[in-house]
Amino acid sequence: MPQPSDAELARIAQQLRVDSIRMTAAAGSGHPTSSMSAAELMAVLLTRHLRHDLARPEHPGNDRFILSKGHASPLLYAAYKALGLVEDDELRTFRMLGSRLEGHPTPRTLPWVEVATGSLGQGLPVGVGMALAGKRLERSGFRVWVLCGDSELAEGSVWEAAEHAGHEQLDNLIAIVDVNRLGQRGPTRHGHDLAAYARRLKAFGWHTVECDGHDVHAVDQAFAEARSTLGRPTAVLARTLKGKGVADVEDREGLHGKPLKHPEEAIEELGGVSDLRIEIQQPPAARMLHAVRSGHLELPR
Amino acid sequence: MVALDGEVSDSTKAELFAKEHPERFFECYIAEQQMVAAAVGLAARGFTPYASSFAAFLTRAHDFLRMAAVSGADLNLVGSHAGVSIGQDGPSQMGLEDLALFRALHDSTVLYPCDANQTSRLVATLAERPGIGYLRTTRAATPVLYGPDESFPVGGSKVVRSSDADRVALVAAGVTVHEALAAAEQLTTIGIACRVIDLYSVKPVDTATLQEAAEQTGCLITVEDHRPEGGLGDAVLEAFADGRPVPRFVRLAVRHMPGSATPGEQLRSAGIDAAAIAAAVRLLVEHAVVP
Repeated sequence: MPQPSDAELARIAQQLRVDSIRMTAAAGSGHPTSSMSAAELMAVLLTRHLRHDLARPEHPGNDRFILSKGHASPLLYAAYKALGLVEDDELRTFRMLGSRLEGHPTPRTLPWVEVATGSLGQGLPVGVGMALAGKRLERSGFRVWVLCGDSELAEGSVWEAAEHAGHEQLDNLIAIVDVNRLGQRGPTRHGHDLAAYARRLKAFGWHTVECDGHDVHAVDQAFAEARSTLGRPTAVLARTLKGKGVADVEDREGLHGKPLKHPEEAIEELGGVSDLRIEIQQPPAARMLHAVRSGHLELPR
Repeated sequence: MVALDGEVSDSTKAELFAKEHPERFFECYIAEQQMVAAAVGLAARGFTPYASSFAAFLTRAHDFLRMAAVSGADLNLVGSHAGVSIGQDGPSQMGLEDLALFRALHDSTVLYPCDANQTSRLVATLAERPGIGYLRTTRAATPVLYGPDESFPVGGSKVVRSSDADRVALVAAGVTVHEALAAAEQLTTIGIACRVIDLYSVKPVDTATLQEAAEQTGCLITVEDHRPEGGLGDAVLEAFADGRPVPRFVRLAVRHMPGSATPGEQLRSAGIDAAAIAAAVRLLVEHAVVP
């Protein structure tokens, strides 16, 4: 499959939005607007930057992806559909008893989910551990991509992670921040002030890139810059709109965690239901380096 | 196997691992949430992490541990400086809630050794155990009770002292095992035989041994350097939560707010030292209800 063009990527992002709306409408609950803000970020990441052999989740060269904003699970599952991992019919089981598609993703049911998320401020901290494993132990060159919400950056644990990653110079760690300006109850502390986040991350030794999170070309450039940055972790700070693409809900307060009131009209506005497929690039062949030591433990008598 | 430290490796002795295996040692500084999170990340990559800090400070990372359980992560935590027995540093440094915290985690294993050989065996045992493993350690040097070849299966216990004449069973773990043994020794001089059970596996708990002790002695006294809620006493009670008659049951635990004092004074004022245990036994056997 050839790489999709920017225009095709934009259509794929619309499909991710549509499927997020369909899933949450069928379930009667969930977080469509939080999923819609990060649709381009996800589409560009999966098609052009993440390298992962989906048939072999244990492949040591696989890049790792953590959806730190776990409530945007509809976006993740919509992406699974586009990747052919989940059938369209299964999307209707979202949040239902026995479904693999839980309200917040867990690795118990889905092999492509690295760790459970949904308690905010934990994805980046755990990503640091995975990046440390890659850098210091596995040395197989994979990257760890963490998609964070802006609201969760108020958690202190995010800044413990930022300092840890900066200190360890984890250039295999990339944080993508979906700065959609709105939390659950209202505006975040910093709103769309990307520079406020950049200043803080830079103070911890990070490289930062600011971009328009709905411009696939700009997002592509930002991810490429992140991948080519050496000696420092990179944060891509993406300016986005919550509920992007549907006038009824776009950038509006009071709609967090609520299915759309008029899903059919919204789907129409986004271009209708589609079944576009995407592919992830394969990882490079990984060379494993092991340090093995042995010894005898003398116990006290 | 990898080790993570919250900038207390000189106290916890994780520095010994750091010296031998610097490439597999991760200093996380004083950031316990980040330490546990990094351990979860390393576990997700297939490594077996041991993250250690003071038991008191691991409580800070409870949300990360809860989520690690949701992930089904396999990782091990070691909490040192547990209980009032740390002495002079006072209550801010005392892990008094950690057993409750770790017992409540889904599918967790909670171990609490009382001597060096038991500790080394249980540390190794945790590596093979799925899920979240927790090992609670004591600050002070304690006497070595067990030989180096003794085994300590998860879900087991050690009956350290017993006879056919036992009138009460003392159930202890960690530092209180030594206090219970001292109490049992004192009580022989007045003709009261006590069984002493080292309940090193707090979760899962050795139901069979506890039920047998209850049948044979009729009375259990639990002694723990922990708050009465959620710790050793509650773990023992679970062995009797199947509808059978519950034995006479007394729990000695830390009920007051400690201050600064020597370890011996701390155990005494908490009412969990040998003298307090002996007094509890005498009250039961001589004045109360044990036939």
